[in-house]
Amino acid sequence: MKIDERCVGCGQCTAFCPKNAIIVKGIARITTDCIQCKICMAYCPMKAIEESA
Amino acid sequence: MKVLVIGSGLGGLLSAAWLSREGHEVDVFERLPIIGGRFTNIEYKGFQLSTGALHMIPHGPTGPLGTLLKDLEADVKIVRSRPMTTIRIPTEKDAMDYTHGFQDIEFHDFRKHFSLLNRIKLAILITTTRTFPPKSGSMAHWCSKNLNQDWALKLADSFCGWALSLKAENVPATEVFEIIENMYRYSGPGIPVGGCQAVTEALINIISSHGNKIHTSTEVTQILVENNKAVGLVADGNEYRADLVISDIGHLETSRLYDTNALDTSAASYFTAIRKLRPSAGVKICLASNEPLIEHTGVLLTPYAQRINGIDEVTNVDPSLAPAGKHLIMAHQCVQWENIGRLEEEIDLGLRDLSEIFAGKEYEVLLIQSYSGEWPVNRSSSGSDLSNRTPIEGLYVVGDGAKGKGGIEVDGIALGVRTAINDILNSN
Ligand SMILES: Cc1cc2nc3c(=O)[nH]c(=O)nc-3n(C[C@H](O)[C@H](O)[C@H](O)COP(=O)(O)OP(=O)(O)OC[C@H]3O[C@@H](n4cnc5c(N)ncnc54)[C@H](O)[C@@H]3O)c2cc1C
Ligand code: SF4
Ligand code: SF4
Repeated sequence: MKIDERCVGCGQCTAFCPKNAIIVKGIARITTDCIQCKICMAYCPMKAIEESA
Repeated sequence: MKVLVIGSGLGGLLSAAWLSREGHEVDVFERLPIIGGRFTNIEYKGFQLSTGALHMIPHGPTGPLGTLLKDLEADVKIVRSRPMTTIRIPTEKDAMDYTHGFQDIEFHDFRKHFSLLNRIKLAILITTTRTFPPKSGSMAHWCSKNLNQDWALKLADSFCGWALSLKAENVPATEVFEIIENMYRYSGPGIPVGGCQAVTEALINIISSHGNKIHTSTEVTQILVENNKAVGLVADGNEYRADLVISDIGHLETSRLYDTNALDTSAASYFTAIRKLRPSAGVKICLASNEPLIEHTGVLLTPYAQRINGIDEVTNVDPSLAPAGKHLIMAHQCVQWENIGRLEEEIDLGLRDLSEIFAGKEYEVLLIQSYSGEWPVNRSSSGSDLSNRTPIEGLYVVGDGAKGKGGIEVDGIALGVRTAINDILNSN
């Protein structure tokens, strides 16, 4: 998964990630624990999460 | 009447619940899988955090939101904060931070900390400005002109930061006096039992008990306008027709959903005004601890911290907002517009403040949430709200981009909704 510059750092994705794979501090960062389940995408109010190519 | 609502934030839900009770057919469209926008709970590590708000209603059960919820017979219990606010000040005279000890004073005792001369001045100013509010200038300007004491500006910054997520220099003094006036009129803050979600859930119940629907994961991509009148919208590729469209996503974002070129020049001043709105930015730091960090249900203002403006401990009202035996504490800091690009540094300053404010206490930082731009603390900074109407007939805007005068945060939203719905019911 990829997070783009639209991210405001609201942490909504962190709370819904089943793997606790998103660290947020001003901006969100996805860790290697990510299993590409895509759940976080739907919860982002800024549409800042994309699938990585 | 058939009404379509864009967005299920507090403004959208209040409008939908009210119109549902009046017997109208309402559909609400929400882009996210969850309902409530920036005013509902999200569970994290067993704690009931929130999508935005600090679980606090500025004027408690008797303010504009509390009253509107009562009128709608929404089933929510809002507990009044007692004391309303305490202020943490350094023990040593002339100290500029908390590192050498501090004490908490009650909000109404703050006058004691001014010099005798300023105390007399303040007493006169408070009574006269309530009757003759200053006509222009910022709150910061008012403080330095009238009181010229560092403590006055610190207190004003901490109050404006907590209540509006703005620096005192960015808030018109008139607006602050309107808020103070409202603190007398409606009284101080309160916390809903169950947190923000209790409010959201109660409104959802009203909407669905009247057979109306909230469509989640459904994004509105267009507002249909014919002869300068809103006649429906497009959501997820489907066209919906209606007599009225209410938008809860702010004036600017709403204007992107219809063709503004088709409007005549009389609308130009509206578009200039909505482009000028500046959303307020802020950071909320959620803490967990095994012991209470604040001993009461109100706000702890921290004027001597570098960044943190105020803190509440919501589990003092409702322990079920945290796992058994744990406490949930939420700290807020305003982020000035020019610092949005340096959020991590701003957050580090906030974290350092907390280690001084809670020196010697053990706590865990649960989640750091920041807000700006199109997902802000407040869509229009206080004192700059526009009306609920738009240049399009039958298209109204509610929510924190169209708050009522003098109303802050969700109480401002409730005031705005009251104006909008009365307007709608009177003209239809
Ligand atoms: C950190 C922080 C602390 C705060 N603390 C407090 C507090 O303690 N007390 C208080 O009173 N207020 C507080 N606030 C402010 C309060 O949370 C907001 O003012 C309020 O929740 C905003 O409600 P709203 O109705 O304007 O809309 P929003 O909550 O913004 O809802 C709008 C909804 O519309 C949806 N949407 C957007 N575009 C579309 C589209 N095209 N189609 C469909 N749906 C769409 C969004 O997903 C969203 O759910 C705080 C805010 C923040 C961020
Ligand atoms: S894709 Fe799934 S695992 Fe990866 S960050 Fe998003 S929610 Fe977490
Ligand atoms: S939900 Fe979106 S905006 Fe919020 S932190 Fe995650 S990626 Fe950023």
